[in-house]
Amino acid sequence: MSARARAVLGAAGLLLAFQGAAAACGICVEDKIAAVYDHAIVTQALGRKHHVAFFLIDGPLVPGAGMRRAIEALAGSAHGVDKGSVRVSVEAASLSVAFDPRRTPLATVQKALEQKLAARKLSLMPMRLMDQPANLKTIGRQ
Amino acid sequence: MQPQAQSGIGIISRVNETTRYTLIQEDSMTTTNSLARLLAFSAAALILGACSPGTPPADPYDQSKMDLKPPPAKVSSERHKGAFAEGGSLSMGAELKPLDPAPVKTVRLDTTHKIIEIAPGVKFSAWTFGDQVPGPTIRARVGDKIRFSMTNRSDEPVPGVQLTAAPMMHSMDFHAAMVSPQDKYRSIAPGQTIEFDFTLNYPGIFMYHCGTPMILEHIAAGMYGAVIVEPRNGYPTKVNREYVIVQSEFYAKLDPGGRKVDGAPLYVLDGDRLRTSQPSHTVFNGVHNGMVKKPLPAKPGERVRLHVLNVGPSKTSSFHVVGTILDRVWFEGNPDNQFRGMQTVLLGSSNSATVEFMIPEAGAYIMVDHHFANASQGAIGLISTDVKAETKDLEHHNIPASATPTDPDAVQGKLNFESKCLACHSVGEGKKLGPDVAGVTKRRSDEWLARWLKEPEKMLETDADAQAMLKEYNNIPMPNQSLGDAEIQQYIKYFHWIDAQPAGAAKAGGAH
Repeated sequence: MSARARAVLGAAGLLLAFQGAAAACGICVEDKIAAVYDHAIVTQALGRKHHVAFFLIDGPLVPGAGMRRAIEALAGSAHGVDKGSVRVSVEAASLSVAFDPRRTPLATVQKALEQKLAARKLSLMPMRLMDQPANLKTIGRQ
Repeated sequence: MQPQAQSGIGIISRVNETTRYTLIQEDSMTTTNSLARLLAFSAAALILGACSPGTPPADPYDQSKMDLKPPPAKVSSERHKGAFAEGGSLSMGAELKPLDPAPVKTVRLDTTHKIIEIAPGVKFSAWTFGDQVPGPTIRARVGDKIRFSMTNRSDEPVPGVQLTAAPMMHSMDFHAAMVSPQDKYRSIAPGQTIEFDFTLNYPGIFMYHCGTPMILEHIAAGMYGAVIVEPRNGYPTKVNREYVIVQSEFYAKLDPGGRKVDGAPLYVLDGDRLRTSQPSHTVFNGVHNGMVKKPLPAKPGERVRLHVLNVGPSKTSSFHVVGTILDRVWFEGNPDNQFRGMQTVLLGSSNSATVEFMIPEAGAYIMVDHHFANASQGAIGLISTDVKAETKDLEHHNIPASATPTDPDAVQGKLNFESKCLACHSVGEGKKLGPDVAGVTKRRSDEWLARWLKEPEKMLETDADAQAMLKEYNNIPMPNQSLGDAEIQQYIKYFHWIDAQPAGAAKAGGAH
């Protein structure tokens, strides 16, 4: 099995593990997206033909505004991420960013984000991509 | 709780157990008891045993016969543009429509953001199902299929200045359904539509609500309603009137931005109150004292059935009807969970009960949360023999707005007055146990009123006007309500507002 396949399976396993514990509300993928969905950012991004990506955050997260602000600052400085577009929910362990797919593909954005978040021992798993209004596309690991 | 026997067979098998026990006792007795007596018991046991077929009674909740395999939900980007609520099984207000006989009930409840009036002068930025709070009531019966669809229309523009909350993701969680939450209850973005089916397997009064985090906020903002599921063969009793009562809390604060709606201050969700379970309003069917202003009709001798659901999100209800006894209480709305002769029924968040009672004579019977801190925040309503039946829905938004102050202090004064003072005082309708408060600011100074509201008993010792008033009102003193200074100023502002209105324009909400 290739490293990439193992990574995909690992990510899928992680998501399933989250869903397996779904007795508590807020565990579903869509709930994690809802926690960071900002309609103003989505509308603005799609109006510029940018996309909005939603990621699950994996790693040690300490609930609180300090952690959220730290992740927002790191993600906001990542290559390809639209300025001011980062939204983070530490409680839901999710993150969203807007980006211009014509200039920076999603895979590159994710790689840049993970390089920044590695300092906090955090990694990302893509959940959904919004490339047009009212359309949350399922996406695999980039 | 003493569940009812499932069938006559169940009762017989219990008798058999008793009989066996009795026989053992008889065997241990002295031989002075005759063999014939023993034989008689044995014969009785055999006869009773013969009545039992030897197979367990049919379980009305046999899960092997339930429909537990609904098709997967469908999510699309198709936006519904018609009515926010559609379906023959929906009732929009307290008065319930008869059961729609169709075995498949098509229900649409779209989500919206809108301004609602939860109390006179309190315009609240709400999130809704079907564009109303509570959402419409769905009525069906066990075995029926619900074909549900919902478009997230929280992003639809409202005319004028943007006063509603920003569009956001929403979802639907039906407590009446047995389905995968990850499939059917997923959150959808503004503009998306979700559709799914489910079959009703248990009778009861079930809550529905938005399940998107933070759920506490979504429910407190107004996203809830009731599903009434009748037993497969209907209820075991007949009634003359049937209503649904949904109790809920609001946690409102003045908009920090000072925005106004039609000249009145806008109220928004108060996160601090919400997290500490300190509601600003506790109401029936979405409105402070709503069914005091618009009582539910009934006639003497009639039997009334109320389907009561406490959606919370955080408070318990001790539901009581003043002036009668709850003849039957079906906890959670299921006749198998029956109590008789109850005075109150205790409902935690998302608990429900169907209660039936008789209206013994002419009068106004007061529905109340007997946790009186909740009642004083608006959880009061009337069932009255003095009102004519409405020919239209008793929707709260159909009630014409009455004159109301806009100053938040005066608004609060009005709410407090309606909760605490209406039993003894009227506004412009003459004397009751105490004086009519209309014109009080012209008769008394603010300072006198403040002292009177603060310490009436001390005023009666020294103040000639207070002593004269006591005499005029049959020596019934006004009780000290332990009011704080801020609260007293709210009352005085409200009294000034009353006296600034044209004669007869200002009326308090209560009728009792």
